[in-house]
Amino acid sequence: MTLFISILDEVGGALLFLQKILRSLFYKKIKIHEVFEQIWKVTADSFFTTAMAGFFVGAIMTVQFALQMKEFGALGYLGGLATSGTFREVGPLLIAFMLSGKVGAFTSAELGTMRVTEQIDAVRCLGADPMQEIIAPRFLGIIISSFFLLGGGLIMSVFGGMLMGYAFAGVNFEEYLRHVPMIVSPVSILSGVIKCGAFALVLATICTFKGFTTTGGAKGVGRAVVATSVSTMICIVVVDWMTSFLGEVILQMIRGYRS
Amino acid sequence: MISLIAETMTGVFSPPFRRKEFFQQLYFVANKSLIIILFCVSFAAIVTILESSFHMKLVIQNDSMVPGFAALLILRELGAILTALLLTSRVGAGYASEVGTMQITEQVDAFKMLGIDPVNYLVVPRFLACVLGCMMLTIIANMTCIFSAIIVSQHYLGYTPSMFLTSMDRFVQFQDMVFAAIKGACFGGVIPIVACYFGFRCQQGAEGVGRATTNTVVVASIAIIVIDFILSYTFSYLY
Repeated sequence: MTLFISILDEVGGALLFLQKILRSLFYKKIKIHEVFEQIWKVTADSFFTTAMAGFFVGAIMTVQFALQMKEFGALGYLGGLATSGTFREVGPLLIAFMLSGKVGAFTSAELGTMRVTEQIDAVRCLGADPMQEIIAPRFLGIIISSFFLLGGGLIMSVFGGMLMGYAFAGVNFEEYLRHVPMIVSPVSILSGVIKCGAFALVLATICTFKGFTTTGGAKGVGRAVVATSVSTMICIVVVDWMTSFLGEVILQMIRGYRS
Repeated sequence: MISLIAETMTGVFSPPFRRKEFFQQLYFVANKSLIIILFCVSFAAIVTILESSFHMKLVIQNDSMVPGFAALLILRELGAILTALLLTSRVGAGYASEVGTMQITEQVDAFKMLGIDPVNYLVVPRFLACVLGCMMLTIIANMTCIFSAIIVSQHYLGYTPSMFLTSMDRFVQFQDMVFAAIKGACFGGVIPIVACYFGFRCQQGAEGVGRATTNTVVVASIAIIVIDFILSYTFSYLY
């Protein structure tokens, strides 16, 4: 019971914090310069990591699909299927995992250190709003740069898939790419992008919340980092399921039939 | 890092064996993370089966093969790699901050003073516990995945459990289970070694521990994905 109440407590706290962030985003002036600085920092920091993860994810997907496609003799569809699977589902999910490990942990450690060394209180003492000065730029920066990282990761995943398709299944590059435009529709790409945005929103909320509410010195920072990475992973998986489900429902409403 | 791996490997086979420490760590790894992992993995399995049914309908206009394919994908890839990534963020980050705090408060040096090998005392029990714990967690996660996939496919795709199991039986062989367990063991071995490596190299100050934790999660996740690729590639010649 206490576990249940503490979970509710955390969820409610995070949602109230999100409300505060959104309010300061809409009603107060956004520091454009700070936002761009955060975007640059986050993107440049994790571009290599996400690109590498994307490369290997594409390769893994291709190897797995190739094993199954071989049994049907449908190797021509290999490229389309692997690309579609990566774009719709696996790519955003794994890139969000990478981001939660790198950006989420880093941000919450930074904010937590600021909190326990009372720098946030100092900002407030100087008459500035810490929400506006510190939290909002990071929040926006993480969300915007996640789209850049997603793009890089997905492009690399196509390269990885092409290479593996050639080396492992003997599908040459034109063959691999030929069915991609047929199977990967704009709707698939859009659903991947929406998913990535939802993950980034969750990630940014949780990591700023955990960092902002850190207590208890240097150990507290470590605890906040661990709590951030665990709860972001759980929330990302749950949000993944929710966006898939909602996307299905919305598509059904638009098309009028079950795809 | 190579030397840390070598020392750990020699430490596994050389006395003193610390059985009590090992069981404590095993309890921490396997039991404390069980609920979270099962929860996440079952959601992931639900998404996987819905997605693969979508793709199958797109390409060959019927999804009668979906249970087999989805089960194969879950068993070969998803169960092991998701379990390992979740364990990285939970156990790996915990180990890195624990060992890092020990390093900056000079407890590791105190071990050396007392004539205890820190690798033997700290790394080896964690290594063994992670290997065994991750292997067991992978098997349990696979079972949960299949179970939740059965439930979802019954409700959304209209397969009865017996149809699901029959279709699964056509595709899945016993090898798949064994390979998944091997994958789990390899991933489990990566986590504590990376965590303890960054923990031992942790620098002074409060930021050092945070940086060690972040580095651990990133490096271990990438290492897990790369190892997964290598293992998938290797196993694909053994089917």
